[in-house]
Amino acid sequence: MLLLQSEIASILLNGLQQGAIYALLGIGLTIILGTMEFLNLAHGALYLVGAYTGLIVFQETALSNGLLYSSGITTIGFEGGFLAALILVPIVGFGIGLLMERFVAEPFYDRPETDQLLVTFGLALIIEEIVKNVIGGNTFQSIAPSTIFGVNVSQPISLPLVGLFPSWRLFIIGIAFLVIGLTYLAIERTDFGLVVQAGTHDSEMVKILGIPINRSYSLVFALGAALAAFAGLIGASIQTVSPQIGTQQALVPAFLTIVVGGAGSVRGAIAGGLVLGVIISAMTQTYSQWAQIVLYLFVALMLVFRPEGLFGSAEVGE
Amino acid sequence: MSDDPSGDGAEPVPDGGAVTEETAGGSGGSVLAGLRERDDFVVIAMAAALVVFPFLLVDILGAVGDVIGISIGGYAGLPSLVLIYGIIVIGFNLLLGYTGLLSFGHAAFFGSAAYSAALFSQVVPSPILMVVVGTIVATLLAWPIGFVSIRRSGVYFAVITLTFGQALYFYALGPGSWLTNGDNGFSGIEADGLFLGAVPLDIELLPVFDSYTVMYAFAAVVMLGAVWVGNRVINSPYGLIFEALGENEERVEFVGLNVFRYKLMAFIISAVFAGVGGAMFVIHEQYIHPTTGLYWIQSGDFVIMTVLGGTGSLVGPVFGALVFEYVANVISGVSLPVIGSIGSLWRFVLGAVFVFVVWVFPRGVYGAFSDLATMLNGGRGGDGDEPVAADGGERE
Repeated sequence: MLLLQSEIASILLNGLQQGAIYALLGIGLTIILGTMEFLNLAHGALYLVGAYTGLIVFQETALSNGLLYSSGITTIGFEGGFLAALILVPIVGFGIGLLMERFVAEPFYDRPETDQLLVTFGLALIIEEIVKNVIGGNTFQSIAPSTIFGVNVSQPISLPLVGLFPSWRLFIIGIAFLVIGLTYLAIERTDFGLVVQAGTHDSEMVKILGIPINRSYSLVFALGAALAAFAGLIGASIQTVSPQIGTQQALVPAFLTIVVGGAGSVRGAIAGGLVLGVIISAMTQTYSQWAQIVLYLFVALMLVFRPEGLFGSAEVGE
Repeated sequence: MSDDPSGDGAEPVPDGGAVTEETAGGSGGSVLAGLRERDDFVVIAMAAALVVFPFLLVDILGAVGDVIGISIGGYAGLPSLVLIYGIIVIGFNLLLGYTGLLSFGHAAFFGSAAYSAALFSQVVPSPILMVVVGTIVATLLAWPIGFVSIRRSGVYFAVITLTFGQALYFYALGPGSWLTNGDNGFSGIEADGLFLGAVPLDIELLPVFDSYTVMYAFAAVVMLGAVWVGNRVINSPYGLIFEALGENEERVEFVGLNVFRYKLMAFIISAVFAGVGGAMFVIHEQYIHPTTGLYWIQSGDFVIMTVLGGTGSLVGPVFGALVFEYVANVISGVSLPVIGSIGSLWRFVLGAVFVFVVWVFPRGVYGAFSDLATMLNGGRGGDGDEPVAADGGERE
């Protein structure tokens, strides 16, 4: 019995960690989809950019501080590097988001959604290829530091029920949910969030009321991009990094997340991310070969039987 | 089905095919216009194009490449590969271009046909039966997937087709390894010759031009069949309804037609084409891997080819397939004087071209050219509307 409980506890904890990444991606995608009714297939590319920016910041700072640095294949963690990345990566994501909104998304707001899908799909290809050609197609080790805020995080920590659990992952869960919580508050409790919510509901009405929604559009897009980049950094600290992660580990799960949670709903993206995270971690611990298959079939069933998702209104993107 | 276009051979306009739809309402040329009204014309023009195509792609471009010192000629197997992808995207366009449904899961049909053809070849290595078996499997798979996916539209349709495709991909990679050989790939697929093994596929039909193989002839005949079927479909009442669905689904519903049934049919027809192509692919390449067969990037490649070529016409996407495979297989090996080797940049080049086309020519390269041609003809200057509507109107 205790064995089963500990199994469940560790499934939930791992699910929380994977779910946090899905939720970060899903929130970004869903606010962009909800507010601008813009379908961004380049969302995974922002995750990719976040992961690689983190990688570069991490390595450069490690190098400039004279620590061991061996050709990028193995990195020796350094506390400052990751903290710097924690600040820089979302800023880079934010900036790229602003540019993307201005130069790619805006011309396509009034075009059919198939065109939006196509142009951002092309953009995702281009970004992936740029990364591949500039930095290289090889796979990098994850970039978890060994200490952060003076605390050693390289050792597993003993938790009740779960047993030994990598303390770095615990830190990841904490910081990811901190960011998710702040985003949720920003959407639910601030004036900016109110405009975003109203825009999700009926953007035309918002415009008629005289609110400069275009400015909010850029901010929403940039915020979504920053979240995706942040998710990339988090992901890069626990998984290997290669140019394919943008599509493999981010884009498709992000879409699955908002399908499960309901398009346009931040709450839905969080819930959807957690549900998918727990499914993946449960399957990985039991029948790992079937994990991805079960995940996809679950989403397909969801689409058939509850197309509006957990928290969505079926209108968005239909 | 005439394979001998000796009469038309002097007019190597490879895009003869879809002119049917485009300029039918133009000013002059009543004989020509009358010809273009006929279904046979598309097939005959395509046959003419297919006869000269390997010569142009491999020999002429190869000769030009020798002169300018950059190897831009295709290799001998490339024309067949282009045709195989061309068959697939003709079908894919019936779904995307005419019915307006963007599927990101067609690799499921391509890949399942490829794997079942490969498996079947272990028992009976007949290429024609391999194609038949692959197509049947793809069709049987498309029915339930379509039945579920068609209920949703827009991005939901794209995502749901994607999820089915991905589920199949991960099955082939993991639990299904006993069938597919998993990540190692399915190799050693050897199709026998045509006509009970009498005519091996790698025999060269002509002495000097080594790209004219039996395999190419096989692909060309299947391509002609695909063009003929595609043309029949878009000019049939069924096809008109597909197109109407792409333009305004609600109206079709108001007229009292069963929207669901027509969309499902469009989905299944496009999956049949993908199945034929998948089986042909495995005969041609003799190898299949979950990533080339079933991964969603493969579905994305179909989308790219179709959009590059142009969704507004029947054979437009075939040009997309040509451009895509040419860039992927030939341009990727080119080394330019200033820029240096293209190498792995090819996908970047392709992505950039793709974004450019989506941005500037919403109707694709072929659509842009035919708009231009219409404008130069001084006909009804580029009214940019969907082509077959005019054609269909005249038929009634």
